[in-house]
Amino acid sequence: MKRVFVLFLTMFFIASLIGAAEVQLNVKEHVLSNGLKILMIQKADVPRVVCHIYFKVGSINERPGITGLAHLHEHMMFKGTKLMGVTDFEKHAAIDKKIDKLMNKIYREKFWEADGGDKEKIARLQKEYDELVQSEKQYIIKDDLWTLYMKNGGTGLNASTSNEVTGYYVTLPSNKVELQMWLESDRSMNAYFREFYSEKDVVMEERRLSENRPGFFFNEQVSAAFYAASPYHWGVIGWMDDLRKNTKADLMAFNKRYYVPNNAVAIYVGDLDPQNIIQMAEKYFGRIPKGLDIEPIRTYEPPQYSEKRMYGEGPAPTSLQMMFHTPHAGQPDEAPLSVLASVLGSGGGGGFRGRGGRGGGTGRLYKLLVVEKQLAVSVSASSRAQWYVGAFQFRATPRFDKNVQPEDLEKEIWAEIDKIKKEGVTPEEIQKAKNKFEARFIRSLSSTSGLARTLGRAELHRGWNSVITDLDDLKKVTNDDIKRVAAKYFAKDNSLTAIYKRQGGGRQGGRR
Amino acid sequence: MKKILSILMCIGFLCVSLGFAQVEKPSDLKYPPLKYDPPDPKNFRTEFLNGMWGYIQEDHSLPLFDISALIHYGSLYDPEDKMGLASVMSAAMIKGGTKTREGSIIEERIDFIGGSLNFRAVERTATLSLSLLSKDMDEGLKLFFDILMNPEFQEAPLNLEKARLISQLRQANDQPSGILSREYERLIYGEHPLTQQPIQISYESVSSADLKAAHALYFFPKNIILAASGDFDKSELKDKINKIISNWQNKNLKIPSFAKKFPQPEPGVYFIQKQINQGYISLGHLGIEDSNPDYFAVQVMNFILGGGSFTSRITMKVRSDEGLSYNQGSRFRYRWGFPGTFSGYVQTKSSTVGYAISLILDEFNRIRKEPVSDDEMDTAINYYLESFSNSFESSQRTMSAFADLEMTGKPMDYYKTYRDKIRAVTKAKVQEVANKYIHPDKSVVMIVGDFDPCNEGGDKWPGPLDKLGKVHKINLKDPLTGEELK
Repeated sequence: MKRVFVLFLTMFFIASLIGAAEVQLNVKEHVLSNGLKILMIQKADVPRVVCHIYFKVGSINERPGITGLAHLHEHMMFKGTKLMGVTDFEKHAAIDKKIDKLMNKIYREKFWEADGGDKEKIARLQKEYDELVQSEKQYIIKDDLWTLYMKNGGTGLNASTSNEVTGYYVTLPSNKVELQMWLESDRSMNAYFREFYSEKDVVMEERRLSENRPGFFFNEQVSAAFYAASPYHWGVIGWMDDLRKNTKADLMAFNKRYYVPNNAVAIYVGDLDPQNIIQMAEKYFGRIPKGLDIEPIRTYEPPQYSEKRMYGEGPAPTSLQMMFHTPHAGQPDEAPLSVLASVLGSGGGGGFRGRGGRGGGTGRLYKLLVVEKQLAVSVSASSRAQWYVGAFQFRATPRFDKNVQPEDLEKEIWAEIDKIKKEGVTPEEIQKAKNKFEARFIRSLSSTSGLARTLGRAELHRGWNSVITDLDDLKKVTNDDIKRVAAKYFAKDNSLTAIYKRQGGGRQGGRR
Repeated sequence: MKKILSILMCIGFLCVSLGFAQVEKPSDLKYPPLKYDPPDPKNFRTEFLNGMWGYIQEDHSLPLFDISALIHYGSLYDPEDKMGLASVMSAAMIKGGTKTREGSIIEERIDFIGGSLNFRAVERTATLSLSLLSKDMDEGLKLFFDILMNPEFQEAPLNLEKARLISQLRQANDQPSGILSREYERLIYGEHPLTQQPIQISYESVSSADLKAAHALYFFPKNIILAASGDFDKSELKDKINKIISNWQNKNLKIPSFAKKFPQPEPGVYFIQKQINQGYISLGHLGIEDSNPDYFAVQVMNFILGGGSFTSRITMKVRSDEGLSYNQGSRFRYRWGFPGTFSGYVQTKSSTVGYAISLILDEFNRIRKEPVSDDEMDTAINYYLESFSNSFESSQRTMSAFADLEMTGKPMDYYKTYRDKIRAVTKAKVQEVANKYIHPDKSVVMIVGDFDPCNEGGDKWPGPLDKLGKVHKINLKDPLTGEELK
């Protein structure tokens, strides 16, 4: 039946002029009555539209026992809905319920019994499970949503989970945005998690891939030691024990709580007509019921009161990490710390989880430790303010051929820190950092998907406009600010120093 | 400093929905037609002095300027006794400075204005690229061409970069994925310049004079194609570049010749021991060149087999059905002027290594024996047609793609005819190319992992691995010396 309906739409046009280059960022906003916010940016380079949807949920919304669930849930959002991925919903659901019952029995046996349970009983139940899995296959349409997107020219098709946000991405031809609205609103309302147990195996394989990256286990422990109380303590992938033991019921409760429109933002960037987008959003996303309000996380990171040190040995290159607790995003000290990270710079290191004050080899520490003193292969400094915690991190790799030890680099970095506490940095260094932030920002506007990612995530925390006010704050930073934050945060009892050495010295063979 | 200006406007709309009928399934959605014609390289091709060409596009949407120079030069042309020369050049081209400027001064200046400048030489091409705000274009151009034309490879920064490269060599056997891709190619191409690896003494032997000699051989106007885009006036940019390069002399390009015959490795299992909890696997053989007329059919066929992520057979079977892995599929890799490689790939826990391999081999066989379904064809073909315009989203990427077409001698109507060639692929053709280019019986299976648990297998596929063919154990080489590790 064709329904004609009338929409009263309120649309905000927000234009911001950025910096000396007078770049304009035109973001159009619309909020549905269920709380879902729609952001739109017109950019008509090619007839395509980047369509992203972000939910304010990540690993920080987990607790011990269900770590890794936000990420597993993201995987499961591709495993069908009541309408998608199934030929006969009722018939399949009947089998699915039996599968869950059986697996609950197996989990009780395996994970509740101290001795790992009755092996024969488990084998018998497992056999029944295998048969049921075979019988459900006839009703399952594999990767239905993914196939539809691809058939319609979907690119950049993916999803990702971080500590704070989970995003679902696709870029479509500009005449097919309605497909995204249909599919995403459907999986927001009607998610039905088929093949849960085999997908858990997939996620465990994903964790193993990380485990086989040299140095992973050590870094996981460093992070866990640095974040003692807050839910940043565990990684997004979760602990292996929890991946094994979490249940379908855990997943459904998580979905019900966090996958609600008032906890999400949908963003569209590309060759689009905002009125058309709003009409479609009202029609598709507008039908999703509003959920309960969600309380932010409670446990921030308490003061450390003592210095932490960690030592490890393994198959990765010898390295030094020094980490300091800093304020979370949006606090006044965030900007001076970012400028300081940029001044100290990188010059070969990857920075903190790939971010960092990259210095292209012109950072102060690179010049000092890599070029002048030739003690390090690489050295980086980075500042990362997350939603509820912050960290400033130094990383360095010593010169093996000169027999430099991580402890030598630690002394050098402390000497430089002490100098900055007294003298700060030079006006040229500060100006360079500011220029770099501004240029990087303008460059970021050229990528439609990058723009969607940056603004979508920012919107869920402090509003998308914070990417512009943050830039403005960076431009106000003075040398006094730098000295002040260096003195405040670079203290031993606010730090964790992690020293890692390659097992068996520098040579690396294939036989370990 | 200018203050940020925020304008908030609140506009009430009264919209009457027109034709938004509710459909019960997404396949019933009807879309308005969309026509897209790709940009024509002819409209951007620009001649500079001394026979240098470029692809140049004005793009005034943001105050940015991007330029890159694509040079026909790469690691394949390293002299036999100077293996790694191109890697050293990659590391030291900018840091080594020019005849009149220190590298550190150039880097400092580019960084100060918030720009980025990079140089990288790969197998047969090298790229110098610069990105900055358009207000700094003139200064950027001077630095860019100074490095391109007059690199000096000064001793101190050169030695430092060599020491850092040697330090990186120590990590060559750290990552299982790195080991696998390197050793798989070594097995397929044999001892050939395509697979030779630099070692400590070869890095050490590269001198400033060697680098300057290589630069003199390959860096001249007719051997370079520019790509530029951004907020500028095209004719002004052309004049500025011409002024800088007016005295740059051409040379005669001498490209070394290489054998295109490769040994056929004995089919079977090639195992590299590493104490990890998964097996990292590649299985396959030599592939094809991308100039092959069957290229488009091979793309479609591989999309269905294992290239089309979740819509592909290998992913559906190995990941979705069996939960054996996170990352799996098949790929044809291409290289300019040589056949590439074909491989199925997967990483899975040790006990399911044999099972995952057997499932991938089944899919190799199935796509040869049975025609693919109409649905599979429909998805693959539509994916290529409907996602086509995505390639042209960025002006700079488009200009670089055109430069690349010209450099590698591909037809300049490649993009214009692309969709027709995809449309022309039939089910019969897919099966034909599967039979022609996929050979399970000639495949090698390379595994990096822990031998005993991999060999033991699991319930669904008990070992030993020699059920898949003779097992050859490969010892890795010491990356510093090139000597086999015992």
